[in-house]
Amino acid sequence: STSMAAEFNFKFHHLLGPKSPAHTKMIVPWTERVMKDSGGRIAIEVFPSMSLGGKPPQLVNQVNDGVVDFVWTVLGYTPGRFPRSEVFDLPFVHTNNPIATNMAMYDLLQNGMIAEDFKDVKVIALHVNAGQAIHTVDKPIHTVEDLKGLKLRIPTRTGGWIIEALGANPVAMPVPELPQALSKKVVDGAFIPWEIIPPLKIHELTKYQIEGENNTRFGTTTFMIAMNKDSYAKLPDDLKAVIDKNAGLDWWKEIGQIWTDSEKPGIKMAVDHGNEHIVIAGAELEKFRTALEPVVNRWVEEVTAKGIDGKALVAAAREAIAKHSKEGM
Amino acid sequence: MEKPSNFTDDGRTGPEGPVRTLIRWWALGGGFVLCALAIMTVISVTLTATVGTQVPGDFEMTEIGVAVAVFMFLPYTQLTGANVTVDIFTARAGRRFSAIMVLASSAIALLFSILLIWRMSEGMLDLRSYNEVTGIIGFPIWTAFIPMLMSLVLLLVASLVTTGEAWHEFRESRT
Amino acid sequence: MFIDFAIGLAGLAFLIALIALRIPIAYAMILVGLVGVPLLSGVDIVLSQLKDLAYSQFSIYDLSVVPMFVLMGNIATRAGLSRDLFTAANAWLGRFKGGVAMAAIAACAGFGSVCGSSLATASTMGQVAYPELRRLKYSPALATGTLAAGGTLGILIPPSVVLIIYAIIVEANIVTMFMAAFIPGILAMLLFMLTVTIFVTVKPSAAPKGRAVSSKELMEATVAILPVATVFAVVIGGIYLGFFNPTPAAAVGAVLVWVFGIVRKQLNWAGMKSALLETCQTTAMIFLILLGAELLKIFMSRGGVPIAAAEAIQGSGLSPMVILVLLLIALIFLGCLMDSLSMIILAIPFFWPVLEGLDYGMSIEDMKIWFGIIALVVVELGLITPPVGMNVFVIHSIAKDVPMSETFKGVLPFFASEIVRVSLLVAFPSIILFLPRLLGN
Ligand code: NA
Ligand code: NA
Repeated sequence: STSMAAEFNFKFHHLLGPKSPAHTKMIVPWTERVMKDSGGRIAIEVFPSMSLGGKPPQLVNQVNDGVVDFVWTVLGYTPGRFPRSEVFDLPFVHTNNPIATNMAMYDLLQNGMIAEDFKDVKVIALHVNAGQAIHTVDKPIHTVEDLKGLKLRIPTRTGGWIIEALGANPVAMPVPELPQALSKKVVDGAFIPWEIIPPLKIHELTKYQIEGENNTRFGTTTFMIAMNKDSYAKLPDDLKAVIDKNAGLDWWKEIGQIWTDSEKPGIKMAVDHGNEHIVIAGAELEKFRTALEPVVNRWVEEVTAKGIDGKALVAAAREAIAKHSKEGM
Repeated sequence: MEKPSNFTDDGRTGPEGPVRTLIRWWALGGGFVLCALAIMTVISVTLTATVGTQVPGDFEMTEIGVAVAVFMFLPYTQLTGANVTVDIFTARAGRRFSAIMVLASSAIALLFSILLIWRMSEGMLDLRSYNEVTGIIGFPIWTAFIPMLMSLVLLLVASLVTTGEAWHEFRESRT
Repeated sequence: MFIDFAIGLAGLAFLIALIALRIPIAYAMILVGLVGVPLLSGVDIVLSQLKDLAYSQFSIYDLSVVPMFVLMGNIATRAGLSRDLFTAANAWLGRFKGGVAMAAIAACAGFGSVCGSSLATASTMGQVAYPELRRLKYSPALATGTLAAGGTLGILIPPSVVLIIYAIIVEANIVTMFMAAFIPGILAMLLFMLTVTIFVTVKPSAAPKGRAVSSKELMEATVAILPVATVFAVVIGGIYLGFFNPTPAAAVGAVLVWVFGIVRKQLNWAGMKSALLETCQTTAMIFLILLGAELLKIFMSRGGVPIAAAEAIQGSGLSPMVILVLLLIALIFLGCLMDSLSMIILAIPFFWPVLEGLDYGMSIEDMKIWFGIIALVVVELGLITPPVGMNVFVIHSIAKDVPMSETFKGVLPFFASEIVRVSLLVAFPSIILFLPRLLGN
């Protein structure tokens, strides 16, 4: 909470509850670190659960307009608004390593390729989750063909394209409705990361958890932590330096680690429950890659029409991710 | 809902008669939007249950459609005084006092509609400049603000009518 | 910090004053929020948020179920379903002493199963049943008291708009809340019927003897309630068994009732128009209050009021049960003054954070359900308590020959039966939690 002594009292607003890992493991530790590094001159009060008003899609406007000083949000909540960084949602751009993908996002922000999306805010971090795995109620999935005709819940806008490309039927529904839909087989499965298993009790509603070898996933979701530009501008240089230090590459990598770690309890819970954890490998996984390439092309076509060089973005993102993945080995 | 729904605007006449008619039909238009959404939803669940597809973008269109309908309902609700109040402390108050409170309420509604017209116009321009669309069918959200803003203009008109009535009542109650 | 908190509290006092002065509750909240947020954080904040706050509040998917159920209830009102329900219930129960009053209660419960509003239930069933009760020389107190109390079954038996709003505020599952409300709702119906029996035993002059009914009449009357039974089975059954989510279920229900009304030639354009305009008023009123509540929430969060209040109460040293009872008494008190929906929207954002931090020997999810149903019952009590008993007002507008004081007297035995029920629900949470556990995941 804020202190009387601080020179700058900031508000950090986000959508998840005060017990969520994003709040306890990522946001709160970060604000504490900034407060400490500032010697108590900056105070940040965190407001979880949209308690400062609006719905999650409004978070972006709130940080732009200075309604709050910091937000953490999902870029996909405002489709159309971050057209360049959507490249990281695409299948087989991000594959299996959130740290590498976060580092690649850092590169593309620094070299200007996705900077236009974020011109109105001071970016503290961009990051992804571990990526979408497949969860099915009663059908084991070993090949692309196994997915044909299944009804699957859409994770993101491009996630719907992924499901179509795999020959399945995309079903759009709000997340809170997913458990009910799975339990009554309104949908046959969903594309979500392991980390969602515990809060929605997905392990009790499905029998199979499916991913590619080496934790390969099928697309992901991108997030950002952003600061209002004026809130940053009004800081003296030494405090700006505190923010910059805590918005650097180390922090982006640390977030990657936090989200990698957040996956483990989820899949463990499913396996302990008696679910089968299927890992698709080798040639079968290659078939997924081939089947999903048209999704990438569809996206390139769409953004090219808006005057964005989609092809270059895909190439740059893949290259940077490959480079950082190797470093991490 | 927790107010008896016996408020009607029928039987009142005067120079603002056509305005009342317009506002009532605007509310009915909102009702038609709601009926259309209900029918679309029924079609969509039927499709999901039978062939396994759905009406594309059904739930995002429901979200936006309901928002539009609610805005379209606001002027009629103001005109018919159907916003819920607590009457207990003022039950024995005189005609004059009642007129003052209706005047105050109408004034708040008037200011609120002006404020929202101003702010939401800007909100619409923001949404348009950011190209914000819905997730599934890519419907541009700013276009939904057009009927909403038209509704707010009618809310302003409705508040003017109720303010005028309250003022008249206030003048009458003095004598 | 302290000054922010003080401004927040002053804002609440101002809000209460405005409401007491008969400013519509929604506009009172909007005004306090619009003035309060700038006092704490500057005017730019609120001006920025207003760009899309109303749109974002009105376009919440979970809320879209509200106008759908309101529409369904209003069409049901115009489609003549209430008369069929009363005729059928009367055929079965009319043979007993006080039986027509019991039939009115059963019919209210039946209508409540397709209508999410208490007032609509009281109003519709009142119009159908009151003339019959008077013709048969039921005492005015019993006749009007029965209908005012019976009307509350409209929000107790699912669907229930108040329950939906509660679920959205505390982030509970609407389906689970609907499951939890069912048994307490049926219990209310049975206790109300028992109350009628005791009433006519203690005061035999209050009701005439029953009359016998031919089996043919019985059969015909029973067949006539098939439409309502179908709608309930499809909509609520569909929700309970997981075939539908609430919004699609409500949409299906609205369309079904609409079709029944047209097929049975009881719903003409004038009726449909009234149903739509009533839906318009109710929906706009609810959503405007929700918008006001959002502005108030922003103001209160910025002032740190909910957290401070929760900490103060949790740190007071009172036992969790005492705190619960105090909060329920506060709700009953508020219910004397305010309508149930405004009360839920206004009070629950303050009450829930307090309870959430206390130990009642159950999980947070169970607590949401348990407290929600108890709060609903208590809130619904406010509909029949003086001075502002909305159901009593509704019945009074139908039964103009009966003084309102007489109706409040007639309601008294039902009030007593409700206190019995609340005590049962507090003492035995399993009455509430049984069905969600049985049908839940
Ligand atoms: Na009901
Ligand atoms: Na009351």
